[in-house]
Amino acid sequence: MTASAPALEIENVDKRYGDFHAVRDVSLTVPAGAIYGLLGPNGAGKTTLIRMALEIIRPTSGRISVLGESSALKVRNRIGYLPEEKGLYKKMKAWSVIAYFATLKGLGRKAAKERAFELLERYGLKDFANAKTDALSKGMGQKVQMLASIAHDPEFVILDEPFSGLDPVNQEVMEEIVPDMANRKRTVIFSTHVMQHAERICDRILLMAQGRKVFDGTIAEAKRTLPRRVRIETRDSVRQLEELDDVEEVEALVGDEAEEDAPSRWELRIAEKADPQTILQECFERGIRLRSFELADPSLHEVFVRLVGSEAKEASFR
Amino acid sequence: MRNALLVAWRDFSESARTKGFWIGLLLFPAIIFAFVQAPKYLEKKGTPQRYFVLIDQSGQFEEIIEDGLERAHQRRVLKSLVDYGRENASLEKAGRANGGKKLDLEDIPAPDVSGGAEQFLEEFAEANPDALEKFLERGGRDMMLERMKPYLRADADAYEEPKRRYVRVAVPQGVDSDAGTSVISETLKPFLRGGRKIRVEGEDQKLYAAVLIPADIEGLVSRPGQPPVALMSGRHGVEYWSSNLADLDLHNDIRNVMNREIRRKAYLAAGMDIEAVRQVERTRVPIATLNPKKAKGKEKVSMADFLRQWAPSGFVYLLWISIFTISQMLLSNTIEEKSNRIIEVLLSSVTPGELMMGKLAGIAAIGLAMIGVWVGSLLAILAWQAGPEVAFAQHAFEVLKNSHLLPAFFVYFVLGYLLYSGVILTIGSLCNTLKDAQNYMGVVTVIMMVPMMTMFFIPKDPNGTLATALSWIPIYTPFAMMNRMAADPPLFEVVGTTVLLILTTVAVLWLSGKIFRIGILRTGQPPKVLELFRWILDAVRGRS
Repeated sequence: MTASAPALEIENVDKRYGDFHAVRDVSLTVPAGAIYGLLGPNGAGKTTLIRMALEIIRPTSGRISVLGESSALKVRNRIGYLPEEKGLYKKMKAWSVIAYFATLKGLGRKAAKERAFELLERYGLKDFANAKTDALSKGMGQKVQMLASIAHDPEFVILDEPFSGLDPVNQEVMEEIVPDMANRKRTVIFSTHVMQHAERICDRILLMAQGRKVFDGTIAEAKRTLPRRVRIETRDSVRQLEELDDVEEVEALVGDEAEEDAPSRWELRIAEKADPQTILQECFERGIRLRSFELADPSLHEVFVRLVGSEAKEASFR
Repeated sequence: MRNALLVAWRDFSESARTKGFWIGLLLFPAIIFAFVQAPKYLEKKGTPQRYFVLIDQSGQFEEIIEDGLERAHQRRVLKSLVDYGRENASLEKAGRANGGKKLDLEDIPAPDVSGGAEQFLEEFAEANPDALEKFLERGGRDMMLERMKPYLRADADAYEEPKRRYVRVAVPQGVDSDAGTSVISETLKPFLRGGRKIRVEGEDQKLYAAVLIPADIEGLVSRPGQPPVALMSGRHGVEYWSSNLADLDLHNDIRNVMNREIRRKAYLAAGMDIEAVRQVERTRVPIATLNPKKAKGKEKVSMADFLRQWAPSGFVYLLWISIFTISQMLLSNTIEEKSNRIIEVLLSSVTPGELMMGKLAGIAAIGLAMIGVWVGSLLAILAWQAGPEVAFAQHAFEVLKNSHLLPAFFVYFVLGYLLYSGVILTIGSLCNTLKDAQNYMGVVTVIMMVPMMTMFFIPKDPNGTLATALSWIPIYTPFAMMNRMAADPPLFEVVGTTVLLILTTVAVLWLSGKIFRIGILRTGQPPKVLELFRWILDAVRGRS
């Protein structure tokens, strides 16, 4: 493996379970050091893709290489994995679970134990190191499992829904782990269907729906897939702006045009290359009295809904 | 390999920390202990004294019965004295007294295998009425204790005579001993049912039994060549009344004593000398069991041979228990990892093959540890319990060590365990809960019952059709062949069945590895048979 080899390369991968087509012709390159979000509605094929990347299951067709190797099994000591469904040995102590998984990844017994205590202390679980895992709360258990997946300091970590079922405080603590890894030049892939997490943490995202790749790129690129919009609050009518070349559509959001006194909110869909400054100037020139004017950045959530919305709904009715 | 060992070590050390393991570990010795101790305790304290009334209207049997019951009691005293002697004798002293010759199992004749040791002793006593006669003639208990003294250990307990089991009591007041048996039995019924009590030495006691002998009992005796009078007249003969139908010792004692008496009278009536008859009755033909396979001059079947013959059955039982117990552990261990979804993390770190090997080894180790403790505690309890049994255990151990039973046990344990665990791992990987798994386990249990049921038939015809047929069915090979080991089965069968067993085991493990790989990540309902079949086909074709 060379330093520049991508952490994960997936080429035209297909996975069928009998008649069910779980993953269809997905290609993906995760560069080393990236934080990659794997997004998509339930049943989109994220977990299947992850399992194939780890060679827990094999693709029906296609090629996968991990850390420059053709099989994840060859480099499994350099990979960390937190599966979607969380579980721990109920009767084992928190530290010994972490240490056990670390030894399976090649750490010596003593080093693994030290590492377990070190991690538990760093992420605020020092007092529970000797507790049996079935005595831990769900959030704590999940933290322990997350720590177990990174205890051997892997250069490539795959986290499947790491934040699901956690309260906001614990989510934040867990989220810290990801930039911590990234700061040390580790590669992180994590799947989620909570867009805010992806927006906060990821450099790049892969959006999947019904087994297909829908989008692959940076967050900014994702947002650009939606038309840009300007939001205006005013008592005056802004319908006249529709005649501008830069403005594609004018839509009233709240209030009624007929009511003279009520301030209304408007949304203008503007052309991709349009300069909002010009539109602002137009408003002044046309004597529109603005209460507010803002360039609305679409959220990843909106991108998600637009790109996979119909399919997600379809999937949920299946 | 390192990972397989890590998995094995975790499975071993974690199982060893569970309560279930320790309960299983200690329960068996506890049961053995209770099993050894309970009869002794019951003998001393538990067996109640039982009170009975005897009404002999014929006036001929009363004394004879009392005398007979006394002899029965004396026989028990004799037996308990022998036991006492065995328990408290110092082995060294006994050895010296025996002319320095150590007790050797090879010299003790094999008992009749159809009954237990108890019956063996009983028969021994019957066959040698002299033993009891001599015991009584020479002064009974006190004489015996006196003669035993030199051989006893310094710290021997004092001898306690067993209680008389049956005590005759006077007929309760209000019962007319001269009335007809039907009248007497009616008046006695409230006592026999426990509603009314009898007074014995100032205490209320339950009347255990009533024995009524009608005045005309002589005429009711059934004799060969004569019509059965009792049957024809609808009479009972001697009436033995008791609400306890389980303990028939008193019934049998009385029957035997009375039969002996009427036979004695019959001999007299036929003009025969009763002493001559007794002498004739003691004539016996010596019969020795010989084994043509043994060296010349040593063909006589000894206790050691007897042990060798039956030890395989013990091993079959041990084999069965071990495989069954360990399979259960393996199943719950696999299902725990599956239902906790830990399996997925494991599979990202170890290959399914390593995981399987680790599990097999780890759980086998825990099972072997348990069985080791069981066998060890069994021997320890034997050693602690009684003198001669230790020697017996030592001899038994010698016999086993020099036979090929132990290596055979080891080979069949390993192969049998691997074969069954392949099946169990498959079941474990297909099911998400123990409840799902129980359905499949039911089938396995039924299949596994067969060796249990044939265990005692096979040694009687070790190279017969049943034994041979079972040997060639791989799932039964370990049990059947283990069972036949003492009978030197034909070499080609030993080799052939073992090769077949190995091939089957390899095939099952390979297939279960494939199914394990697919099934282990599966959630929801266990797959249907057709689906399973498709997996197997896929596995054979090398996909997935």
